[in-house]
Amino acid sequence: MDEWKPNPAIKPHKKRSWYLAWKYKLMNQRALRKLCQTGAVLFLLVTVIVNIKLILDTRRAAYEEEEESAQDYDDEMLNVEVPRHPVSNKKVLDVEVYSSRSKVYVAVDGTTVLEDEAREQGRGIHVIVLNQATGHVMAKRVFDTYSPHEDEAMVLFLNMVARGRILIFTIKDEGSFHLKDTAKNVLKSLGSQVAPFLSWRDMWTFVGKKGGEVYGEKHAKSPALSTWGDPVLLKTEVHLTSVEDAECHWPDTELNRRRKRFCSKVEGYGSVCSCKDPTPIEFNPDPLKDNKVFDVPVAVIAGNRPNYLYRMLRSLLSAQGVNPQMITVFIDGYYEEPMDVVELFGLSGIQHTPISIKNARVSQHYKASLTATFNLFPDAKFAVVLEEDLDISVDFFSFLSQSIHLLEEDESLYCISAWNDQGYEHTAEDPSLLYRVETMPGLGWVLRKSLYKDELEPKWPTPEKLWDWDMWMRMPEQRKGRECIIPDISRSYHFGIVGLNMNGYFHEAYFKKHKFNTVPNVQLKNVESLRKDAYETEIHRLLGEAEVLDHSKNPCEDSFVPDTEGRVYVMFIRMEQEADFTTWTQLAKCLHIWDLDVRGNHKGLWRLFRKKNHFLVVGVPASPYSSKKPTSVTPIYMEPPAKEEGAVAVPAVAAAEQT
Amino acid sequence: MQQINKNAVLALLSLTSLVFLLFQLYYYKFYLSQKNGAVFSKVRGSQSGQDSTRWHVVRKFLGLLSSHNIPVYLIDPLILGLVDKDFEQIRSSPDSPSPECRYFCAPRDFTTFALLDKTWKHEMGLFRTAEKMGFQWLKIINKDPRLDGMDDLSGIEIPLHYIFKLASHAIHLVVFYERSGNYLWHGPLRLKQHMDRKFVPFRKLHFGRYPGAYEKPELLLVSIDDLKVQIPKNPSSFLEEMSHSRFLECRYREARAFFQLYPDDASLDAVEFRKKAKSLLHLAALTLNNLGVKFWLSSGTCLGWYRQCNVIPHSKDVDLGVFIRDYKADIIPAFQKAGLPLKHKFGKVEDSLELSFQGEDDVKLDIFFFYEEDDHIWNGGTQAKSGKKFKYLFPKFTLCWTEFVELKVHVPCETLQYVEANYGPDWKVPVKTWDWKSSPSNVQYNGVWPVDEWDDVIQIY
Repeated sequence: MDEWKPNPAIKPHKKRSWYLAWKYKLMNQRALRKLCQTGAVLFLLVTVIVNIKLILDTRRAAYEEEEESAQDYDDEMLNVEVPRHPVSNKKVLDVEVYSSRSKVYVAVDGTTVLEDEAREQGRGIHVIVLNQATGHVMAKRVFDTYSPHEDEAMVLFLNMVARGRILIFTIKDEGSFHLKDTAKNVLKSLGSQVAPFLSWRDMWTFVGKKGGEVYGEKHAKSPALSTWGDPVLLKTEVHLTSVEDAECHWPDTELNRRRKRFCSKVEGYGSVCSCKDPTPIEFNPDPLKDNKVFDVPVAVIAGNRPNYLYRMLRSLLSAQGVNPQMITVFIDGYYEEPMDVVELFGLSGIQHTPISIKNARVSQHYKASLTATFNLFPDAKFAVVLEEDLDISVDFFSFLSQSIHLLEEDESLYCISAWNDQGYEHTAEDPSLLYRVETMPGLGWVLRKSLYKDELEPKWPTPEKLWDWDMWMRMPEQRKGRECIIPDISRSYHFGIVGLNMNGYFHEAYFKKHKFNTVPNVQLKNVESLRKDAYETEIHRLLGEAEVLDHSKNPCEDSFVPDTEGRVYVMFIRMEQEADFTTWTQLAKCLHIWDLDVRGNHKGLWRLFRKKNHFLVVGVPASPYSSKKPTSVTPIYMEPPAKEEGAVAVPAVAAAEQT
Repeated sequence: MQQINKNAVLALLSLTSLVFLLFQLYYYKFYLSQKNGAVFSKVRGSQSGQDSTRWHVVRKFLGLLSSHNIPVYLIDPLILGLVDKDFEQIRSSPDSPSPECRYFCAPRDFTTFALLDKTWKHEMGLFRTAEKMGFQWLKIINKDPRLDGMDDLSGIEIPLHYIFKLASHAIHLVVFYERSGNYLWHGPLRLKQHMDRKFVPFRKLHFGRYPGAYEKPELLLVSIDDLKVQIPKNPSSFLEEMSHSRFLECRYREARAFFQLYPDDASLDAVEFRKKAKSLLHLAALTLNNLGVKFWLSSGTCLGWYRQCNVIPHSKDVDLGVFIRDYKADIIPAFQKAGLPLKHKFGKVEDSLELSFQGEDDVKLDIFFFYEEDDHIWNGGTQAKSGKKFKYLFPKFTLCWTEFVELKVHVPCETLQYVEANYGPDWKVPVKTWDWKSSPSNVQYNGVWPVDEWDDVIQIY
């Protein structure tokens, strides 16, 4: 705008020309010329002003247009970035730890990261692991060291935590009763002065760095057996280190970037975060030849048990013929840690807003997951359904690849399941053998899309019906007489202990001794004989060659079955009508197999192994195979136990529903 | 002295004005070229340079994708339009070298390609190579609509669009997802807050203003301008499909709210009816699509979609709308062949036509024919016993695709007006008793059929 400078210079001249014009009143030529000149100057001035205005206008219009051009494409939602954790560049963290009989809490920089004042739970030593560079909580655990073996779990966990992490301990109620010397020594090696002398109902808090300095420790002794120590509150400061110091220096690959992200957030996954020799997170198992299930989506149903999920996904991704692109993990709730595990393995995870409560919540989660699976893979005819607390056998996909065509072609089939309810260490023998059963075992199974879309989805139990999805699926209205195919030796292993409906004893009794196939590439035999009619022929052939056992002996005794191998034996039990399982239940009980409800039957016939011999049990007269009974044989009848035992069994059945 | 001064001032002012005038001209030119680059590049006479740039960018891009084994196909409407004109020649001589650059050099800002999601892994390697080749790229991600539904699920956001920019040309890569209903879907292009709004002139993109639904295309490998590229086997029908591909997602969030107010009928009857209605709708869609008759969800079925994303269990029939200009005499025999006998036929092609077919177990399929006027659209109704005629008026509407009971079907894009015209402002409240002669808020009495026409316009079987 330098051009504007001459303006003030014109002013006097302008006035003067007006004055002259007035004085000579157009009398001479000079005046006229001057008038013209003035006019020209004015005109020029006006032009300049108009030009400037024009330039400004076009510029503004152009700017507006640009703004507008992108407007249609703006995201309607205002994406305000909310950091997941408060970002602070502070180098020092204020840590507050409280320990008392009925309440514990931990606050880091004023944010409560642990608070437990619930009655009757959370007893023992609470441990929190913080990242030494960011101060984020990486793990939270509670070890009920009042009870046996929990201290061992704690030692295991503490050994897994990487050096340099910040550890916070606090006791709720009681934490010393089963705290053995090994555990006390580990605590001592972390720098605790008090740990070796912790005793009954003492209160204790401790903050320290693994393999480094101690930030504080407080302890209150219990004055007498019947009372607790006074509550203690520890306030201390923790100095943060730089991010580089807190990370391992793995080679920069796509996999290691995932590993790094995972390891900076969570703790307690062992060698996956080891700096020196980290365990692989990609497995590349052998591909399967002629894999019929390569394009079948796999839905992993998960809750908030990230350690289980980690174990489960490891085994799944190691199975031959797995296709990671088809795996989706469905997490019931917006939990971060399970999602971190899913991302560690580079899989896709989907979170679901929980609906309803208890069993209905699980059931709604199943429905949402199955619906989404078939939406995500609209081409799929089947879906494999897994849960987060299963180990997957190395030949899981090989087993399915060999049998899935049956599910497509045989209308009388309900599912293929990897789990044999009666397949215990002492009752399962042949990895290449398959059965047809009237019950639906779950625990790793294949669902046909048409069954789900046309039958199950439209009438799936609504949230207010507090039903179990699997019990519902087993009901005759849904199953409609169809059967499932199962292997003799299970292709999945149920390792879950802490679940919705599980307790330690229950798991020990019913799941721990389950047989699990570890042989790769098992060639299944006689798959075609699993078709509806062919199976009847097969059973009749089996019964024809079976030797009838001595029915005068006690079937619970080991000597009931001769000491042979590879033979086929049959026994007959009393079964008045189709739903009479009195004798079967007693037999199952004494054979130490599943007895909480009836599983694994096919038209009143059970097939299992005893002493490496195929062992058939036929219910007479309800079973159509009763005709095979020699007239001389009287079916065995076993008395149900006295009533009070029966009363105990009821809650057990309730507890088993989830399995 | 004064004279000189005056002259100097005058000269200075003239000069200033001249400078301004030049500046203004330059600025105007600059503004224009920004707004309409293609036009001005021609004016500047640099056409050949610009043209070969486009071709080079496309060639580089195709090379990049084939090196990563990512199959794409060309969906650019401009180029496909040109290709369509010479289609016979292109198809018959796939390998002959072309004398001049006729297609990929045509003036435009973008070249658009499509990518099927399931044919590639979302790998970072592609982008690293792209950067090495000099491409700048932009990825537009958003919510996965396949997770939308009555359940509240959320997953990782999925990539919907990619834009690769090199020199003055950009490649728009649209990601297509397969959805249940056997169709392909692409998402809308929405920029998030932090994104560069001037990366490319987004307004000129051919895809992305709305989400779109397409049939799975059959592809053809051709050589255009010495570049091997896949294109839809029938470019003209693809372009036709593209012109009305707009897709509407069901309003699941509102449907969830509706079911909170009015819990769903979970009775066995309701389950059974929904099942039958779904299979009837599938059969009707198959039959009409085979005939090439365009139809949309109407009346209660449309309300069910709009309000609760499902069949209304107490509605007892399935309602479809068809423009009378799409009427074909084959409709009745085609349905009879499909196992749906004609139940009644009211009106005639010229006036108030309505067909009813008998589905399985009392579930009825009603097809209403719609007549277009200057400012409204209407369909007719007839009372069998009295010969009374009724007219139902609707504001003008266009058709959009949606997904309903695993089917890709049309609904009026302006669904709210359509539903409100039919059911009034209280359409959100379920009504169990419905009289088609008096309940609709858009019904008009339309006289009586002349008695001598009754045999023709009232046929009941």
